[in-house]
Amino acid sequence: MKKAVLEGLLFVVGEDGLTFEQIEDVLEINEEESKELLMELKKDYEDDNRGLRIDFLGNRFKLTTKFEHREYYQKLIENPETNVLSQSALETLAIIAYNEPITRVEIDKLRGVGSVQMVRKLVAKGFIKEVGRSDLPGRPILYETTSDFLDYFGLATIEDLPDMRDFLEENEGVEEDNESDLYTSKYVEDELN
Amino acid sequence: MNVEFKINDFEGPLDLLLHLIKESKMDIMNIEIEEITKQYMDYLDLQEKMNLEIASEYLVLAAELLEIKSKMLLPRQTVEEDEEEEDPREELVNRLLEYQAYKEITKVLHEKESLRREIYTKSPENIKNYIDEETEINVDVSLDDLVEAFKRYLARKKDNKPLKTKVTVNEISVSSRRHDIKRLLKSKKRVSFFELFPVLTKEYVVATFLAVLEMAKSGELTIKQEKAFDDIICEEVVR
Repeated sequence: MKKAVLEGLLFVVGEDGLTFEQIEDVLEINEEESKELLMELKKDYEDDNRGLRIDFLGNRFKLTTKFEHREYYQKLIENPETNVLSQSALETLAIIAYNEPITRVEIDKLRGVGSVQMVRKLVAKGFIKEVGRSDLPGRPILYETTSDFLDYFGLATIEDLPDMRDFLEENEGVEEDNESDLYTSKYVEDELN
Repeated sequence: MNVEFKINDFEGPLDLLLHLIKESKMDIMNIEIEEITKQYMDYLDLQEKMNLEIASEYLVLAAELLEIKSKMLLPRQTVEEDEEEEDPREELVNRLLEYQAYKEITKVLHEKESLRREIYTKSPENIKNYIDEETEINVDVSLDDLVEAFKRYLARKKDNKPLKTKVTVNEISVSSRRHDIKRLLKSKKRVSFFELFPVLTKEYVVATFLAVLEMAKSGELTIKQEKAFDDIICEEVVR
């Protein structure tokens, strides 16, 4: 029964997603049980006859459509939207994500250009937020990425970002980390290959 | 020199410098400062000749390059033995490497972005109907408190209002005012000049004034004033 309630809960919260704490509070179960329940439901959804799946995005569990069905959703849209983030937006976000919390001046320095407008834009888009002030002179504002940022890029947690070292030394060291099925968002799985 | 790329194609001076280094197949760890500085300056010159504005950030890096170049030219100071000699390029190289890494990561992010766009979530349901609406009212609330609360509520309401407002441009043309005045004169024969301005917006006043002048010129009405500061009378001219 609780599994069914959990399914309903995930539907109701939609893109807001659920945390373990919420599941535990609402269903009045402990952490162990909630993990088990989620795992079970996640397994159920893996069935080919199901159109949804449970994803861990931006630190929350969310009900999403399946990647492999994308072509059908595309047919629903008459004018596919190709509104993606600009190179400067991606650059700024990457710099913030790897250095957070970070001040605007530090972002400017790493990018080599002024970022006032871009930072404002990213705050407005909800990808970054102010998280306090630095102890540096003038007490500049510190910025950090949000869970919306993680979700937008299909990342489960900030640790999901690629290792910076792989890009600094130009080596092709690819690490596979499969320790927990539950905490990772792998909607892509092997469809890409 | 390659002019394929305009200054606006680069994200900034570091991006441009990386591009130049790659173009001339230099090792980023061992940049030929003199050569790259020349290329960088030439590039900026060229862009300027093409009338493209160069952001000040590009000039900052140009100055840095020149500084490094001059440091490289100076005879190395004798350094104490246990101290490692510092390469004037080091700081810049580190910045370039780091910037390059972020640039590479944006490719990953871009890929992840497009993948994420292939799956959908839905907006949360509105479950506000479960919110308990019953509010207990404290007995010691005065009428003033209520009024005050209501005022605050109205103020909040005002803030909630969307900032969007419909802008309608009501165009007032001279010819339409002319038409109106003609009709007015036909029924009244003579009217005070000031009666012609029931609406006092700038557009309306200007259009009406021009209409009166035009009508006077074409002999459709006459304008009379008995003495200075007296009422101005407009009369219909019957032809």
